[in-house]
Formats: sequence, C-alpha cells, structure tokens
Amino acid sequence: MSTPPPAPPAPGASSPAPPLPPPPLLEAIDLAVRRERETLLAGVSLAVQPASIHVVVGPNGAGKSTLLLALLGQIAFSGRVVAHWRAGGRIGFVPQGFAVDRTLPVTVEDFLALSRQRRPVCLGLAPPARRRIAALLARVGLGGLERRPLAQLSGGELRRVLLANAIDPLPELLVLDEPASGLDEPGVERLGEIVLELRRSHGLAVLMVSHHLAQVRRLADRVTVLDRRVLFEGPPEQALASGAAGWAPWTRPGAPGPEKSGQWSQGQ
Amino acid sequence: MGAFYSWVAGLARAGRLPADFQYPFLTRGFLAVLILAPLLGGLSHLVVARRLAFFSAALGQAALTGVAVGLLLGEPLGAPYGGIFGFCLLAALAMVYVKRRSSLPPDTLIGVFLALTLGLGLCLLVAVTRRFNIHQVEAVMFGSLLTVTDGDLLLLVAVGAGVALLLYDRYNALLLDSLDPSLARAQGGDSAYLEYLFAVLLTTAIVVSLKIIGALLVEALVVVPAAAARNLARGTRGYLLASIAVALLAGAGGLAISTRLLVPTGGAVVLALSLLFFLTLVLGAVRGRGR
Repeated sequence: MSTPPPAPPAPGASSPAPPLPPPPLLEAIDLAVRRERETLLAGVSLAVQPASIHVVVGPNGAGKSTLLLALLGQIAFSGRVVAHWRAGGRIGFVPQGFAVDRTLPVTVEDFLALSRQRRPVCLGLAPPARRRIAALLARVGLGGLERRPLAQLSGGELRRVLLANAIDPLPELLVLDEPASGLDEPGVERLGEIVLELRRSHGLAVLMVSHHLAQVRRLADRVTVLDRRVLFEGPPEQALASGAAGWAPWTRPGAPGPEKSGQWSQGQ
Repeated sequence: MGAFYSWVAGLARAGRLPADFQYPFLTRGFLAVLILAPLLGGLSHLVVARRLAFFSAALGQAALTGVAVGLLLGEPLGAPYGGIFGFCLLAALAMVYVKRRSSLPPDTLIGVFLALTLGLGLCLLVAVTRRFNIHQVEAVMFGSLLTVTDGDLLLLVAVGAGVALLLYDRYNALLLDSLDPSLARAQGGDSAYLEYLFAVLLTTAIVVSLKIIGALLVEALVVVPAAAARNLARGTRGYLLASIAVALLAGAGGLAISTRLLVPTGGAVVLALSLLFFLTLVLGAVRGRGR
C-alpha cells in the first residue's frame, strides 16, 4: 500500500547534488502503529536527508503527531526506525507548547537550566549554566528575557524558548511539532528564520509537522503527505501541485487550495 | 534529649524564650514543626506543580484506614506506623498504577480510590472502637502534640533527610516532567520511575507527619503552602522559599494558637495556612494590579 519514497537527492538550492546520494540521516521503514483495534499508521516509510528540512503534512487525525512520537521512541510501533549517526547523538524535540501548566512560577532561565545543571534549579543557577543560557537565548533573539516567568511569554516567545532548549547541545536532528500553531505571522516567520539559520550554519537536519502552508513552501526541501499512510513524498512544489495536496482546504479554511476538495481517503 | 529540654525550659523560665518552652512536650512539638514545615512545605511546591493535590487528599484518607488496619493488627495505639505506611503505600502505588494504565481522568480515578478507602476505613474503625476508646483514635486522626515522642522526632529527621536527598538528586527531572512529560521523555527522562518515586516520597513524608498534624489534615500542609507561594513567586527559587516560609509560619503560629486555645494542633495549623493563603491572594492581586 505504501508509496516508496522517491529517490533522493533532495533538491536543496544551496547544496550541489553529489554523484551518489548520501545515506539518509533517519529512516523509518514500514512503520505501523495500532491502538487497540484501530490502525493509526500503516506502512509508513520516510527518509530524512542530512541538512534538509523535511515537512510532514496531512489532515487532522492523519497520524502526524503519532509518527513523531514513534520516531522519538515514545510509543510502541512495528517496523524499523534507523538513525545513521554516531553513538550518543540525540534528537532535539520542540513540543507544541506546555501540555501541563504554563502558570507555574518558572522563569525562562529556570526552565532552560533544568537540563543544563545537576543542582536543583530551585536552589539557584550555577554560573556556567547561567552564561550558557544567556548565550542560548541571544541565539534565538530572546536575550534579556532570562528572568521572565514562562506564563508571561507570548506564544512565539515560548516556542523560541523551547527551540533554544532543543538546540543545545546541538542535536543530530531537530524535530518540531506544529511549530506554527497558535503563532501570528511575524512569529511564524521569525521561527522559520531561526530554523533556516541553524541549517545554514550547522547543517542541522529538521523534521517537522506543519499545517501552515506558507511555512511549508518557505522551509521545506521535502514534503511527505500523510494520512495514516504515505500518500505522496517529494519536493514541496510537487506536493502542493499533486492531487495528494488536497490538504490545503484543511489548513486554511476559505483559502483557495490547489484542489477544491481533496479527499484523503482516495489513494493517489 | 532530656538535658536539652531542661536547658530550653531554663531559658524560658529566665524569660529569654516564650513561657511555652517550659514544657518539654511543647519544645518537642516546636522542633517537630521546624523539621516538618520545610519538609512538607518543600514537597508541596512539587505536589502543586504535578497536580497531586487531590492525590494527597486521598492519601490522607488512606492513612485513616491505615490507622484502623494497624490497630486491628495489634500495633500500639501511639505508633501504628506499620498499618499507616503499609496501607498508604499500597493505595499510592495502586493509584499511580491504575492512572498510568487507564484513559480515565486522574481525578475520577482518585475519586474511586477515595470512596474505596473511606468505605473500608469506616467499617474497620467501627471494629476498632470495640477495642479502643474513640478519643484515643482521634489523637491519631487529628494529631496531638501530647503523643509526640523523641522516637517520632528521630524518625521525622531520618525520613526528612532521606526524602530531601532523593529530591535533590531528581528535582530537575521531576519539574521538567511536570511541565511537559513528552519533552521530558524526549530528553531521556523516565516518567514512570519519576511518578512512582515521587508518590513513594510523598507517602513516606505524609506518614511520618501524621502524629503531629493528623491524618485528616496532613494533606493541607502539602498543598496550601505552595498554593500560597504561587500567588507571589515568579521563579522556582522564590516558589520553594515562599512555600517553606508559609509552612513554617503556619506551623509555628498554629502551634502557639493550639496551646493557648486548647484546640487540635492540626486544625490550628490548617486555619493559619488558609489565612496565609488568602493573605497572599490579596497581596498577589494588589501587586499584579500595580504592574
């Protein structure tokens, strides 16, 4: 049932195409996730190339977040996930936002120190951690917000704090869950710029789930259209133009999409 | 310890300490509060962060049943620790276990457990009162300074140190897991271990505090200090310090009130706590408006 991923290389504008495609950074092979009797994902194969930005799109309930959770190893799945990086390499994860409680009295630097020092954060920050956090915040354009409680951040600022948390130490792969949700346009653009800059300066590979059409167009090197299985994989222009790209009506109600009403249930 | 109590009593008679300290049992009670307040107040800020207020209330109830179980099994009236600790731990682990495996909301599940332990406790207490005077059982339920011994104090110190040490080691992981479990897991945190660990630490701390503030009201001391601190604090440091300060103030204040008005210590401490909570609520609101 699954569509095999079209052959690499990714058409990244900046990188010259090598004679032989490099091995992918992360591969999912015939991934399936079942919950009780329901099939959430079936036969999903996907390859994230080094230094590329790979975006997964699809309607609500398509299993996008489930796919991320499986790749992060947080839920049970069948099939294989192969990471082609050195031992000790890690995935930097940027969740949509705090699932639990944003009103806790936790400042930005408290939060960032949680995984950057051994001493309990409530007993104060160690000077090395404090310096590291200041530098990190400057990188995501939030210098000076160290002492601000998380509750007083805007959605875009919180997302950038989560991004800062995920890129230090530099991961092999950055995974973002709906980085545009709940943000205004400038917020989406600012976040996109930081991600592009990370790719440019560090060759960081990115895998993200997105609903935001403009963001997909701007950032993606490669797009996977998912609806419990892979409907299409390829460069963003093709994904948008293909019949499978009927996801536009879901992402922007009222906006003219490439198809008037794409049907996810219809395979391409 | 005897020499210490007479030294303190001497100071009190000389007028250098409040007259209360002439009595060893009050000195002992005050010492207990000095250890208890930072322990439970400190725990409270994680209890509130992890949304375990209702869970703590259920543990307090379970302790009541635990007292009955302990007494029926022949434990001494002054220290049915085996029954309390055994039953509370069983209830805590069972609640966490079921919560992790059920899709029902946690408060619904805890409600089920609460009803179960209460029903069991009620039946067992009737059996207990055939053998003991209900007023003796009341001392355990509501807490009484008169029954605190040096052994209880020693246990409190030992357990407090153990809990503090384990928390020191796992604090950052616990707080990250409270903020976002999925992020914590992605960074290598073991959320099942953390959840069970915290449930065990909380249960242990609650059990050793029972004799001083009582089974029914121990829950207040692991919830209200942090609730009050949250009205004021901006960062985790202030949150912890304010939680401990509120617990200490309410503990010492409640103790002083209970000896003067001859009301149960637990009740007095909780009244003091509630007063502080509403005070911080107003303070926080006034400060918020000023910003």
